[in-house]
Amino acid sequence: MQAKVEVKKRITFILLAMAAILLALNMRLAWIQFVRGDEYQQQALRNRMREVPLEAKRGAILDRNGRELAVSVSAPSVGVFPAEVKKSRQEHEIAAQLAAILGLPEDQVLRNITRNESFWWVKRKVTFEQGAQIKSLRLPGVQVVEETQRFYPNQTLAAHVLGIAGIDNQGLEGLELYYDKLLRGTPGNLVIEKDARGRDIPHARQGYIPPEDGLSLVLTIDETIQYIAERELDLLMQGPSSPKGATVIVMDPKTGDILALANRPTFDPNNFRNFPVANRRNIAVSDNYEPGSTFKIITAAAALEEGVVGLNERFYDPGYIKVGKETIKCWRTGRPHGSQSFVEAVQNSCNPVFVTVGLRMEDRRKGSFYDYIEGFGFGKVTGIDINGEAKGLLRPRDKLKQINLATISIGQGVAVTPIQLITAISAVANGGQLFQPRLVREVRDHNGQVVQRIDPAPVRQVVSKDTARQVSEILEMVVSRGTGTRAYIPGYRVGGKTGTAQKVEGGKYVAGKYVASFAGYAPVNDPRLAILVVVDEPQGIYYGGTVAAPIFKRILEDSLRYLGVPAQYNSEVKPDRDNNRVKEVLVPDVSQQAVVKAQAVIKASGLSPVVQGIGTVVADQIPKPGVRVQMGTQILLYAKEGQPSGEVVVPDLTGWRTREVATIMEALGLKMSSDGTGEAWEQDPVPGTVVKVGTTVRVLFGDGAMAEAISP
Amino acid sequence: MQRKLIRNLDYQFLLALLAILTMSVVVLYSASAAMNTDPYYYVKKHVMWVVLGLGAMLVTTLIDYNQIIRYGRYFYVLNLLILIAVLVPGIGYYSKGAQGWFKFGSYMLQPAEFSKIAMIIAFSQFLVTRQGKLERFRDLIPCFALFAAPVLLILKQPDLGTSLVFFAILFGMLFIGGARPALVVGILTTGILAVVGIIWAHFNLGLPLPLQEYQLMRLVVFLDPYNDGFGGRKWGYNVIQSMVAIGSGGWLGKGLTQGSQVQLNFLPEHHTDFIFSVVGEELGFVGAAGLLGLYLWLLYRAMRIASEAKDLQGTLLVMGSVSMIFFHIFVNVGMTISMMPITGIPLPLFSYGGSSMLANMIAMGLVLNVNLRRQKIVF
Repeated sequence: MQAKVEVKKRITFILLAMAAILLALNMRLAWIQFVRGDEYQQQALRNRMREVPLEAKRGAILDRNGRELAVSVSAPSVGVFPAEVKKSRQEHEIAAQLAAILGLPEDQVLRNITRNESFWWVKRKVTFEQGAQIKSLRLPGVQVVEETQRFYPNQTLAAHVLGIAGIDNQGLEGLELYYDKLLRGTPGNLVIEKDARGRDIPHARQGYIPPEDGLSLVLTIDETIQYIAERELDLLMQGPSSPKGATVIVMDPKTGDILALANRPTFDPNNFRNFPVANRRNIAVSDNYEPGSTFKIITAAAALEEGVVGLNERFYDPGYIKVGKETIKCWRTGRPHGSQSFVEAVQNSCNPVFVTVGLRMEDRRKGSFYDYIEGFGFGKVTGIDINGEAKGLLRPRDKLKQINLATISIGQGVAVTPIQLITAISAVANGGQLFQPRLVREVRDHNGQVVQRIDPAPVRQVVSKDTARQVSEILEMVVSRGTGTRAYIPGYRVGGKTGTAQKVEGGKYVAGKYVASFAGYAPVNDPRLAILVVVDEPQGIYYGGTVAAPIFKRILEDSLRYLGVPAQYNSEVKPDRDNNRVKEVLVPDVSQQAVVKAQAVIKASGLSPVVQGIGTVVADQIPKPGVRVQMGTQILLYAKEGQPSGEVVVPDLTGWRTREVATIMEALGLKMSSDGTGEAWEQDPVPGTVVKVGTTVRVLFGDGAMAEAISP
Repeated sequence: MQRKLIRNLDYQFLLALLAILTMSVVVLYSASAAMNTDPYYYVKKHVMWVVLGLGAMLVTTLIDYNQIIRYGRYFYVLNLLILIAVLVPGIGYYSKGAQGWFKFGSYMLQPAEFSKIAMIIAFSQFLVTRQGKLERFRDLIPCFALFAAPVLLILKQPDLGTSLVFFAILFGMLFIGGARPALVVGILTTGILAVVGIIWAHFNLGLPLPLQEYQLMRLVVFLDPYNDGFGGRKWGYNVIQSMVAIGSGGWLGKGLTQGSQVQLNFLPEHHTDFIFSVVGEELGFVGAAGLLGLYLWLLYRAMRIASEAKDLQGTLLVMGSVSMIFFHIFVNVGMTISMMPITGIPLPLFSYGGSSMLANMIAMGLVLNVNLRRQKIVF
């Protein structure tokens, strides 16, 4: 009996244990079903809905004047709903027709249109004709969806700024990547309910959500200035110095707007796969380099602001300077600069003087030089709106020795990015106020309505207005009589500084490898453009003043004229060089003309035509008609296939001589009736009139004084 | 005689059993309707097994369980022979990853399911003879040896889940049979800790284990189903889909044939091992907790029967069956809610599957057998 009671006790124990375990299971159930229920409901819903994304039309990228730099063009894509195809029992006929139109193997098409999928792309981004043809056949289960494809009408122009977009219109590099969220838009959906094996469910829910187009960007880039910069880089790369690479940045110093940014080597974003990946590197923001003497602008500004040097203070340069145990040589060791004022020392780019003032600042107030360097934005990213920005290399303050400060004074032992340097120099140009550089000024919706305006972003006042003005005037003298004379443009007040730095590889200076650069701006009293030119490893002559300054000059000159900045003469600074004023001409309108004819007209106008693309008719030209350029300037003609229009635009003939006018008229296919001798000063029809080929143009010639009086 | 027996019948036990079986038919219909062109294909077969099971249960009640237990050792030997036979290719049949089936035409029988019943009967006989000799660890060794033979044969198939059931039967019956509680608890705890320790050592110290990767993954994946090396798409997939099914069920569920996880095949094995997830998704917390309640009711009545049995053999027979059924429920339901490893054992009296249904119904028959032949309670 005792045993019997014990057994009952044990049974009761087991019963309680089991009840406890079942209770635990129930609690777990409650946890899953109530506490985490929502989450699992979402997941169950996600499980059953398959979406076929319909991409949105990617927003355009426009230059500051609204000219298209990147656009999305419609590209039809062909997809199928295999279930419908199979239901029609015509899969073989459908496959045959699709294969024929799309030029695909029939068996492959058949396999794709009968896949165990709810939706399948047969071919994406086909031609417009193929799309229309397939659409008109109305094949069961076959869907022609309008997708879009990225197109960069100017090929390599501003490639590094624009970047690239992939097959799914996703931004991969450049602004396409940085502003991908805005450009991309919201994709639409074709929603299809499916089971675990991806089979369609009969009578399943289907939905269609139309895509929402992306926003457009209006850049700070000016297509024409960008073109000018690209043109100069092309000439440089093909020229005798044939460097490894080069960068140009053109900035509006008053706003931080980047007007042009170009690198070499470059690539065409339309078919970027045909170019080495290295070509896509945006040197201007991603690469650190040793700035060399261009950095002396910073040293000079800091020293003047800190008051450790006077403009007319005298220095003596023995050709070197000792700092501790080390000796820093001047670049012109054989023939030392000797006695000179500070202003002259800047003109001479004299190393010992800059080392002296750099060290003086440190003596006066420890860390002061570095405060300015950091104040100008070095050692940190500028915050420009593009990916991959480097921040330069600045030796940490606690590891700073006397010798480091000495070399940094002359731009060595410090690494900067081109964008940092031009931003800093723009601050000097802009009365000491530093702006954050920017590439985008406006965001618009697909109707062209502005949805967001991005204002220039001032960062800080780095040096006083007075100091900035003093530095500007010194830099002007560098150009008018110092090391930067090759950047001199008659009629404009240009300030700038050359730079030549030996390249550092693996911590050591490499013989024979240099970075030549030139940084400057104009007009000095009211700066419109700040430009930095960096040439990496030029062959032969490697001085910044020789290699980079002429490029700077040509970009600056063409851009100033394009912007219509009036020439002026500084009464104080008279050009040392002979100022043979080069004759300027208006660019004639040759668009829609036969290429051969256009070339003749350009040549007759004293300009140099360069044809790009293949075709018989000029689609577009750069610079645009009506821009006043220097004689001999290259005019880029974009050719395309087509018929010439049979109409021409009457050019401005003012100032040409009879013989020249005759050549132009002949090239255009116009007849001329002339009156008088000398230079043309009146014409009928007036410039810009569109006339038929063969029309007679009446031209009045007179002497120069007369022409001058009529057209000021 | 028969009439006298019927008067002893525990109607509540029978009612609970029939309730569970009825619910299984309804849920199975919902779970399987979309699996075949004939929506009744599986449910017809299931009903057939239920009816056969009821028949087997009835037959089991006819012969006095004392008579059955007398043949315990023959059941034991026959069982071993069958388990050996199934391992022989040509006689046994390989399916679903185990050499554990006999094939009769289009039907497949899983002898391991019946082996559990044979073991309950044989062990009842054995334990009765060992009364008063279960105090020391040494005394238990013959019991372990008795179980070792079938367990090893079933592990050879391999069928880890079913072999674990034998441990539940062993310890449940040992406890009732009079083994010292401290000893039973001690061995159990040591065993569980050892297994956990070995697996821990395998993952953290690189201890080699004689297990295939899939076996190991199925044992541990419930701890974190998304961390299966494939982001939850391989070993953790079943558990994740089961949790999604149950979790999306809420209070009252989505309704029969309305569960997207089940109906759209996201939940694998939803008519067999994961049938409980179907209950959770389509009938909600009320349905799932209700089913667990029915099981508790059934087990409670069975335990009453055990405590009122006329002799220890009867008590052991019932408690062996109770241990078996309960362990199945715990492991199966625990698996669907990610509390237990994936061992692939069915929900008893509920999952689709002939062998399991028949074997469990025979166990129910044993319980009823003991019930009918109980003693009058004498106060």
